Amino acid sequence: MPVISFILLGSVVLLPAAALWALRWAASTGQFRCPDKVALLPFDESEPVGVATDQILGNRR
Amino acid sequence: MIHPSQTSKNPTLRALLPGDAGAGSGGDGFRKADLAEIDASCRVPVLFFFLSGLAWLIAGSLLALVASIKLHSPGFLAAWEWLVFSNVRTAHLNTVIYGFASQVSVGVSVWLMCRLCRIPLPAPGLVTVANLFYNLGVTVGVGGILLGDSTAIEWLEMPRYATPILFSSYALIAVWTIVTFRLRAERHLYVSQWYLLAAVLWFPWLYGTAQVMLLLEPVRGVVQAAVNWWFAHNVLGLWFTPIGLASIYYFIPKVIGRPIHSYYLSVLGFWSLALFYNWNGMHHLVGGPLPAWMITISIVASVMMLIPVITVAINHHFTMLGHFGKMRHSPTLRFIVFGAVSYTLASLQGIASALRSVSEVTHFTHHTIAHAHLGMYAFFSMVMFGAMYYILPRITQREWPCNGLISLHFWGVALGIVLYVVPMSLMGFIQGTKLNDPTIRFLDVVQFTLPWLQLRTLAGLLMVAGHVAFVANVGWLLVRMFEPYRKPVVRILTGEAETLAAGK
Amino acid sequence: MTMSYGPLLFLGILLTLASSWVGLVLMPHRQLGSLGQHTDPDTAAIFPAARAGEAQQGAEIYRSLGCVYCHTQQVRPEDYGSDLERGWGRRRTVSRDYIHDRTVMLGTMRTGPDLTNIGERQSDAAWHYRHLYNPQTTSPGSIMPPHAFLFETRAIGPAGRSTNALVLEGAFAPPAGREVVPTRRAVQLVAYLRSLKSSGDLPEAPVKKEEAAR
Ligand code: HEC
Repeated sequence: MPVISFILLGSVVLLPAAALWALRWAASTGQFRCPDKVALLPFDESEPVGVATDQILGNRR
Repeated sequence: MIHPSQTSKNPTLRALLPGDAGAGSGGDGFRKADLAEIDASCRVPVLFFFLSGLAWLIAGSLLALVASIKLHSPGFLAAWEWLVFSNVRTAHLNTVIYGFASQVSVGVSVWLMCRLCRIPLPAPGLVTVANLFYNLGVTVGVGGILLGDSTAIEWLEMPRYATPILFSSYALIAVWTIVTFRLRAERHLYVSQWYLLAAVLWFPWLYGTAQVMLLLEPVRGVVQAAVNWWFAHNVLGLWFTPIGLASIYYFIPKVIGRPIHSYYLSVLGFWSLALFYNWNGMHHLVGGPLPAWMITISIVASVMMLIPVITVAINHHFTMLGHFGKMRHSPTLRFIVFGAVSYTLASLQGIASALRSVSEVTHFTHHTIAHAHLGMYAFFSMVMFGAMYYILPRITQREWPCNGLISLHFWGVALGIVLYVVPMSLMGFIQGTKLNDPTIRFLDVVQFTLPWLQLRTLAGLLMVAGHVAFVANVGWLLVRMFEPYRKPVVRILTGEAETLAAGK
Repeated sequence: MTMSYGPLLFLGILLTLASSWVGLVLMPHRQLGSLGQHTDPDTAAIFPAARAGEAQQGAEIYRSLGCVYCHTQQVRPEDYGSDLERGWGRRRTVSRDYIHDRTVMLGTMRTGPDLTNIGERQSDAAWHYRHLYNPQTTSPGSIMPPHAFLFETRAIGPAGRSTNALVLEGAFAPPAGREVVPTRRAVQLVAYLRSLKSSGDLPEAPVKKEEAAR
């Protein structure tokens, strides 16, 4: 059992520590600045925001 | 913007890209390929994955029908040993999971990855080879099951002479997805890419572990059950769910022409899913002969799933808000929104039935079967149908031949699955209550389930009709591929509809 | 501007799954992978005993016919479900009960009853043969599939009916002059079913005293 408790205790300390470190790193390298731009990635000049695609049903004129 | 040094890091890999895209244009980094070019590069491998997936879907739905009939009429086709209920049921599960759902997933994932990386698929032939291997693996595996070689380990029934073939195919696909990702011309990552990368990395790990610990060197005693459910639950949670969500995150914005409501929420949703989902598996063993700590941990992790599920639901809902009308015109959106709503419902149902008090009733009943179909079908398969409606015309450069068949497909499967999941969930709950009352004879509980099981066969028929309509439409589309290219009369590829819709 | 953070993503993807891989796969393997038999200090009885011969072969038939998809082999504790009240076991099952099983078939579905203790509940081999041949003979209204392919219908020999021929009546009876006898596989399967008993006392799951006295 002691090995297991070491793993458990170790992970209880290490995992949150790693998470905090990652968060700090992400914030300090500006990864939280304006990520909403990333939300535009599916779009481009040929199919920009504001233009619907795939409207094929019931559109016969 | 990328640093020039980044682009030149991998000249060997770069050489895999066709034409301009491989040559690089300096300055702004590599040229981002246009959508049509990307779609064309995916044509052959993605078609292979879709078409073989659909062939397995038809086989799998017929097997499902037979199994469903056998469960209320045990005399049906009873003389043949290879068609005994358990063989058919297991062959059904394996054809739809590994034959249909996984293959379509790979097709969607390859295409989506290329589109978001903004490069044509490097060495498409390799992906096609992976597909051939994959189908060989499924054929051998399902054949083995029907011949009585099933391992009887749920979700891992294919005999061990089949699984290494599948594993190598998965490994090849994983490596190729990472290569594609490394070659990307668009440095920024969209949330869909996270999910796709995670899925292709997680699955071979899961599958490899399960194969070694259950088939090659089986572990002792109930550790098998632990590994089994760690694997089986994660196939859903870490393979299908991420690919389903990646598709939803791409297609909803793409079809309605509006970016995702909150990118922050999608980040939160991804990491909370990654943290909690993989701890859920032991909730399949509540009350079972395993140490309490394992089961408790999984119940807690299951409840924590509320975070990713609600985050994703809010995000999708607010993205769609004001655009629900577009579902009338876009088959993709119809299927995807149906799937997204089902994801929320399936997750909530799953969380509820992980609780000890609920599990006491529902655990060994048809409630679980209903839940599995809510997740795998109403959520995942519907999303995949939606994705195929978008992708197929673009990679073949042909319009969908028949709108009527699209509607038939949608209404057949939508009504079918509702008629399946709702009554079966309810029936399972009643069945469980009856089983927990020792004064009710077991055979009376069996009798109680009969009409509901018959209803399920009816629901299955509707779904099969939908599948046939879809496959007919796809077949027709393929026939058109061999006709000389004509300027499309209808809409997707000419952009006519877009202007129409945008003008409104 | 967001940079590409591929490596972090990669690491996160690997670490998250590694956590449950350690927690739900490796740790149980350490904790349970080496459980052994228990020797009763009073009676020197060893439990669970390894299955041998026909019964062990029968387990493979049980696996290959997929009985696990309708039958569980796990008894839930008192006050949790009605497993004990239904007579599916004399005590809850625990990890140690399964150490000899090549494939552990706990099952997840109770379309049919739990079979942990079927060897005690129904020890009559003839009943099992008839039930397997066609469940309607013993349990009218059952939805368990008939397993007639585990039996041979053959002409009755000059020496008369075989001793192991099934006693079938009415609509289930074979045509005149013919008899239904179990094949080897049926014999093995029934040997396995009859070996399924949960009578052993374990320190972590004692059989209830009054029950045992009965
Ligand atoms: C389609 C589901 C199904 C499958 C598959 C199935 N059974 Fe059953 N089984 C039942 C049902 C329902 C009952 C309860 C009614 C009855 O006794 O037939 C039952 C009852 C039994 C019983 C009697 C239990 C008791 O408490 O009296 C035994 C023994 C049994 N099954 C063995 C098997 C074996 C061995 C196999 C595999 C060859 C098998 N069953 C496959 C559904 C199934």
